[in-house]
Amino acid sequence: MPPIIKATKLTKSYSKGIFALDNISISVEPGEVLVVMGPSGSGKSTLIRTFNGLETFDSGQLNVLGIPLESQNNEERNIRRIRKRVGMVFQQFNLFPHLSILDNITLAPIKVQKRKKMEAEQNALSLLSQMGIASHAKKYPSQLSGGEQQRVAIARALALKPELLLFDEPTSALDPERVNEVLDAMRRLAEQGMSMVVVTHEINFAKEVGDRILFMDSGKVIETSTPDIFFLNAKHERSRKFLNQIKNK
Amino acid sequence: MKNRYSQIKNLKRVAFSNTVDSIVSLIIISIGITTLLTLSKWMIFSANWSVVSINLPLFLFGSFPNDQLWRPGLWISLFAIFSLITILGPQWSWLRKSLLLLWISYGPLGVFLLAGGIGLSSVESQNWGGLTLTILLTSCSAIFSLPLGIALALGRQSTLPIVKNLSSIYIDVMRSIPLIAVLFFGQLLIPLFLPVGLEIDRVSRAIIAFTLFVSAYIAEDVRGGLQSISRTQKEAGEVLGLHPFQITCLIILPQALRVALPSLTNQAVGLLQNTSLMAILGLVELLGVGRSVLANPEFIGRYIEVYLLLAAIYWILGTLMALIARHLEQQLTLEKKDL
Repeated sequence: MPPIIKATKLTKSYSKGIFALDNISISVEPGEVLVVMGPSGSGKSTLIRTFNGLETFDSGQLNVLGIPLESQNNEERNIRRIRKRVGMVFQQFNLFPHLSILDNITLAPIKVQKRKKMEAEQNALSLLSQMGIASHAKKYPSQLSGGEQQRVAIARALALKPELLLFDEPTSALDPERVNEVLDAMRRLAEQGMSMVVVTHEINFAKEVGDRILFMDSGKVIETSTPDIFFLNAKHERSRKFLNQIKNK
Repeated sequence: MKNRYSQIKNLKRVAFSNTVDSIVSLIIISIGITTLLTLSKWMIFSANWSVVSINLPLFLFGSFPNDQLWRPGLWISLFAIFSLITILGPQWSWLRKSLLLLWISYGPLGVFLLAGGIGLSSVESQNWGGLTLTILLTSCSAIFSLPLGIALALGRQSTLPIVKNLSSIYIDVMRSIPLIAVLFFGQLLIPLFLPVGLEIDRVSRAIIAFTLFVSAYIAEDVRGGLQSISRTQKEAGEVLGLHPFQITCLIILPQALRVALPSLTNQAVGLLQNTSLMAILGLVELLGVGRSVLANPEFIGRYIEVYLLLAAIYWILGTLMALIARHLEQQLTLEKKDL
């Protein structure tokens, strides 16, 4: 099977000399969970956002689900073709506050995939019960806790039956006691064989669920290792320093 | 009894907690009572209300043909009925859902009832007037200027330079011209620009002028709403594969309009009051009727009675609009919290 994401020598700089992405080559295989770690400002978010066209890049090649993305002037239809097959979950949930939970989830299936309302709602309800929040279907986002909102956001991303899920620091905005309910939901998805790219600082999640860890700093890939190696025996001095810092937090 | 006692105690705390407070409260209360007494004394003993009672049909319907008065009458009653339904918030959801449609169709229905056609004898727009004309000018201008204003606001944020610049120029120019100039333009210049043989009546010209003017202000109010919506909402829509047009209509605009609602209400009330400027330009709407009544030798000098009546009518209309808007606002926020 061809890789789901194939990036070759991706480069992006916001201002001269400072690289958000510096010569990044990486591939993600179907069913793989890739965890991206690194200090803030290292380009993790930029990298994950290039995968569905939210960010452009300056040079290099990127191929997502067999659809090539150019560095400049991408056809909007191409980007939308990717987005229909790639789900994304944001740090701040980004639910639509004026729509009920159910409508949040069924919006895209109805409007993008042109599915019937009944069918979309049934699917949404089963996704919500999968996330353990079926009783909230009629409520509005502001009535839910952060952890519940984030699980709704995951259900919303799943409603389009994506082949790849991108998570951009999904637990960073949550109260500590709410983190696990979201991580558990993500863990179950990984067990079902979902391909995922996860930007996170959660070491335990990375250890248990991640197939590979990608460590970034200043826009560069410092190392790519399996969790066993990365957390016990990181190859690079920079990685070890970072791990010490977040362990001591 | 206990309740009454606590009310008095509360009043004491609010108005008479110390010497300065007491003095200020007493002064304000005595001024208020004196004004009220003087006014009601004048209204009961000195005023001559015949000017109002004789001319009441004129104030309400202008010079509409006498045998057809039920048409504007029905239309104004509908305004009161719709307002009541909206404010009371009916239990039946089908009625609540169709309210928006009712209000949108209110303006066109008025044009049909007044102008006639399809089974109704036609009445020239010169004969429209009074409260009827005021409500017609307000509702039609509001219905047309809202979509135009939204379009201008979106245009101003467009990525296409031509659309963006044209919208900006239009908005800025309109906002720097006084309304009365725009209305003059509508009455005097629009006929010059039209091809020979095509004629638009004065009421339509006034509605066009109001629409052009108000939409520029609405555009700025809506733009304020649009800017308050976080960019991440757009991203969330993009990530779901929604088309830019769908993102605007389904995600951004509903939220932006909710934010802009208080200022839009302001525009609506302002529009209602600004329609009185048409009295200067020869339309006999509410103020125009007042002026022509006062010009009648029979009622000469009855200024206070007439203007008090006009003030009362405008006050009722303005309050109704404010109540409806407040109700709408509460509905929109209740929806989120009450379920």
